[in-house]
Amino acid sequence: MTTSVVPETTGTEAPAAASAAAAAAAAAAAAAAAAPATAAPVAGAKPGAGGALLSERLIADSEPGGRWVGLRATARTLAVKPGFVLAVLFIAFVVVSAFAPGLFTSRDPYSTAPAERMDSPSLNHLFGTDELGRDLWTRMLYGSQLTIKAALIALGIAIVIGLALGVLSGLSGGFFDALLMRIVDVQLAIPVLLLSLAIVTALGFGTVPVAIAVGVGIMPAFARTTRAEVLRVKTLPFVEASRAGGASWPRVLLTHVLPNSCGPVAVLAVLDTGVAILYIASLSFLGFGAAPPQAEWGTLISAGRNYLVTAPWVSLLPGLFVAAVVLSLNHISKTIQERER
Amino acid sequence: MSRRGIAATALAVTAALGLTACGSSDDEGGANTTAAEPVAGGTLKVAFFPDNPQFTCLDPFQTYWIEHRTVIRNVADSLTDQDPKTGEIKPWLAKSWEVSADGKEYTFHLRDGVTFSDGTKLDAAAVKANFDGAQGVVKETGGTAYGASYILGLDHSEVVDPLTVKVVFSAPNSSFLQASSTTNLAIISPDSYKKTAKERCLGQYVGSGAFTLESYKPNELTVLQKRPGYTWGSALSKNTGEAHLDRVEFSYVAEDSVRTGNLVSGAIDISWPRSPITVEDRELIKKSGGVIESRSLPGVASAYYPNASAGHVLSDLKVRQALYKGIDLATYAKTSFGDDYPVVGGAFDNTTPFYASQASKLAYDPDGAIKLLEEAGWKPGEGGYRYKDGKRLTIVFPTSSLSVSSELIQDQLKKVGIELKLDVHPPAELPALYKNGAYDLASSYFTRADPGALQFLLDPKYANSKALATNAAAPETTAKIQALFAKARETTDDAVRKQAYADLQALLIDEGVVFPQYERVQFAGVSKDVHGFAFTSESFLKLNDVWKQQ
Amino acid sequence: MTRYILGRFAQALGVLWAAYTVTFAVLYLLPSDPIALQLGAAGIETDKLTPAELHTAKARFGLDRPILEQYFSDLWGFLRGDLGESIAKQQSVASLIGDRLAPTLSLSLAAAVVALLAGTALAYLASYVRWRPARLVLTRLPSFGASFPQFFIALVLIQFLSFNLGLLPATGIRGWKSLVMPTITISILVASQLAAVLMRSFDDTLSQPYIVTARAKGLSRAAVQWHHGLRNALLPATTILGVLVGLTVTSSIIAETVFSRNGIGKLAQEAVLAQDVPVVLAIVTLAAAIFVVVNLVVDLLYPLLDPRIVQGQRKEVTI
Repeated sequence: MTTSVVPETTGTEAPAAASAAAAAAAAAAAAAAAAPATAAPVAGAKPGAGGALLSERLIADSEPGGRWVGLRATARTLAVKPGFVLAVLFIAFVVVSAFAPGLFTSRDPYSTAPAERMDSPSLNHLFGTDELGRDLWTRMLYGSQLTIKAALIALGIAIVIGLALGVLSGLSGGFFDALLMRIVDVQLAIPVLLLSLAIVTALGFGTVPVAIAVGVGIMPAFARTTRAEVLRVKTLPFVEASRAGGASWPRVLLTHVLPNSCGPVAVLAVLDTGVAILYIASLSFLGFGAAPPQAEWGTLISAGRNYLVTAPWVSLLPGLFVAAVVLSLNHISKTIQERER
Repeated sequence: MSRRGIAATALAVTAALGLTACGSSDDEGGANTTAAEPVAGGTLKVAFFPDNPQFTCLDPFQTYWIEHRTVIRNVADSLTDQDPKTGEIKPWLAKSWEVSADGKEYTFHLRDGVTFSDGTKLDAAAVKANFDGAQGVVKETGGTAYGASYILGLDHSEVVDPLTVKVVFSAPNSSFLQASSTTNLAIISPDSYKKTAKERCLGQYVGSGAFTLESYKPNELTVLQKRPGYTWGSALSKNTGEAHLDRVEFSYVAEDSVRTGNLVSGAIDISWPRSPITVEDRELIKKSGGVIESRSLPGVASAYYPNASAGHVLSDLKVRQALYKGIDLATYAKTSFGDDYPVVGGAFDNTTPFYASQASKLAYDPDGAIKLLEEAGWKPGEGGYRYKDGKRLTIVFPTSSLSVSSELIQDQLKKVGIELKLDVHPPAELPALYKNGAYDLASSYFTRADPGALQFLLDPKYANSKALATNAAAPETTAKIQALFAKARETTDDAVRKQAYADLQALLIDEGVVFPQYERVQFAGVSKDVHGFAFTSESFLKLNDVWKQQ
Repeated sequence: MTRYILGRFAQALGVLWAAYTVTFAVLYLLPSDPIALQLGAAGIETDKLTPAELHTAKARFGLDRPILEQYFSDLWGFLRGDLGESIAKQQSVASLIGDRLAPTLSLSLAAAVVALLAGTALAYLASYVRWRPARLVLTRLPSFGASFPQFFIALVLIQFLSFNLGLLPATGIRGWKSLVMPTITISILVASQLAAVLMRSFDDTLSQPYIVTARAKGLSRAAVQWHHGLRNALLPATTILGVLVGLTVTSSIIAETVFSRNGIGKLAQEAVLAQDVPVVLAIVTLAAAIFVVVNLVVDLLYPLLDPRIVQGQRKEVTI
């Protein structure tokens, strides 16, 4: 029965996570044990991370797990931060609109009105109208439906596969661990957008293929984060005690490892929602999104680009809306992290 | 048919064109008339829509997209030229010609002293080499080469004397004379035909045009240079000698707004879009002092072609007729392209010779559409759509992202209970979809100043997509269409030809074979410093008269 | 040490091979008919051909072989530097990429330099400034920069700098001016990512005991931060170099599309649309190769940069 301490764990276990990208970082961690955080960025990093900040992933990875209690405790102090509250409210609004867009508009997103073509923003049309006279505010809200759902599907795929790979890898160790992590490495080497392009070509255009492509693309970060957490939790005294007490691995996994690992994974999930949204927008911009008349956010921005000079709102307002969503997500996680420190 | 016969043809064409030619360009600002004396020199910068991503080609015979046909027009000359105003065929490389009484033999008398830019002589042997080469390409590609429909029935060609060449057909081909004026049968040097079809596609050929091809970087930059010593321009240009411009650069820009922005900010001289320039951008260009030029592209209008094969909703003539009544073409044209935009009036654009408007049959009549659908057994149901035997009235339209304002038509059809499903695919996937019959509507268009252009789409024997052609109509209707084309092609009597094409245009709408979407107007945004702008009869850009204010 | 280097090389090659294989599998095991697609890309429609003609057409592009044979012969070609032939563009993929390499290289280099300078400066400033509101703004900037879709930034830049002010060409690859806007587009994101990592790294470094000691010795804050902080903070940042390079490569797809630059990124987009499989395969492999090489270089240089790393530990690292 060992009673290994965390720094040592970092020194011996993290190098096993070695990969093309992580090896050097892990080595740095091994050497600079006093600053384990410096090793972490790569653990969660991946090429072409469209939006979420690496440093935030870094924090997500380096935070010891099981912070849900802490989160709840800090919720009250966070509630008085106006920026944070605003961001949370905005995200809440977007999520609600994604599932019930009818709550915020009475119009039909697909109904054309040639007479009201290219009206500028007004009380009647908050975001103005597009080249076919459709209300852009309404189209934006119905776009949330597609984009948010696509982001959730992508995230679901990334979390399920990532979690499974990470747990398997972390628990099994040895050859199997190395094999799984090599697979993740290979995926890291192919830029997400390129991989997504190839997958979308294979599966065809549409919201679901785009979501699957993005999900597969952002999966490695989850696998790595989960694995790192499992490795850490596995050697915690109470887990070892529980194992010594005769509990089976599945039981330990469910009662100790997963609950204690999910904190960082959850923070990563919030961040990667922003990444997923940006990737989905990029792929719709390149023309691989939902079939018209449905329009994801990226499609709306891209559809308006021919009117940038003459009717800038058609493209700019949806663009700013997307930026506001991603910024809010980034702000929420960053604020939580700062509180946590 | 002799020269007199040709004159008669020209007259008939003139009559057909009289009402419609250039109908849309009058109020768009007009050309920068060359009041001032042309200035020689300078580089003209033209921005095109992107190069064909699926098929890189600059070979006259194999190229079908309009941008490269503009490039070819200025690099290689043709035997004849066609007057954009009247549709008349005029001398060019051939100073005269005769057509035999049975319409099977065309004899061209070539102009003396013409050379290709590599110095070799353009003589009867060179022309023969071109026809032989074209036949070779047709064989090599199994008839799919684009130029194939221009030489239908070509048997062989022969050198009569150094400046006389005879082209012999196995069956009469009355549209061949027009074909001889097109870029597709532009004459290139015999050496060019010693290269492979692929090498020619990459620009490895020489013509006798007022410009020579300096370089072709696909989808990046195509550069032309003035050909010194050029003296054989067609009489349709003011300037039949050396070009005014030293150099022409064609770049490829994907974004319409960027092309317009480049023109307005002075980075380019001519903006040449694929789809019509939006009303907003037209205003912007005019405000910057530029000029909007426009002319309908002759040939097949932008239209939908049904899959009328068994098991598809459009196999029912009533549903097809309801489709005409359910689409508001006038509102579509106005909303998509502006108040003064012409409304499409049939399978062809209005600059096509022998054009006969079918507008009365294409009027918007939602009540009539509903009545027809009711008769056909489609009853209203959930979501405002119509249903029969529990199946929704859904029309699947696979498209690439190019399609203009399809969502407007989608919304119009929804009002009569038809669901138009826009199915977006990469362009490269569309042929496979057509082949598998996994569609109800397909859209296409094709530019050629002759109704024969439609054979490239609708005659299964010559069509670019055999599946699209086969599915578009029931076999007996297809037979009728082929018979009318044959009748028009194989006659030497212009009245018969005119009647055949009129019958054809009526048939196409009556039987629901073609669903016109919009008249294809070629717009060009032209900087105020550019003078002498001119469209060819096929609405391509002709550079002989163009000069730039220095 | 030799064993370490050899191990790293072997691993890099392994990753590269696997990336090639994964891409090959994705592209060839599509649910669609790759042969019809590729012949379609070459302008040949399969339904018009007789079986004999179809066979000739397939043979022309080497599509008549079993999939495994194709895989191995393509892989062997890659190893010899023969990347095959573009089906849509009818020229060799190697020359196609060669032609398009220069614009992408110059853009990537410019973007990398700008991002490096801007990101480092921002992080340096953020940890130097003491005035809370300013510091808050600076630390939030990376978040802000990474929140905008890149194509949106590109469109706004074109709108203002080209169309409104007429300062810069909106498209093309000629002259340094054409580089400005694409560079800004890419470097905003890359600099944001870098700055975020550096800020965190700075904070950690500056709380180290030796920094506190240096300050106590009377060195100015600027001097301490410059001499001790920067170097030690940059070191861990080199490990994300591969990630940042990958990000630059990906960003070039968007930037080149919007700015009509004929580089590798645009080629990738065109190839996907035309389903030009050999080109897609080559570009993805090239991107993977760049990533692998950058990481390999970082891995090999790291022990030299940070003498604290000892050989013994590396053996475990390499596996």
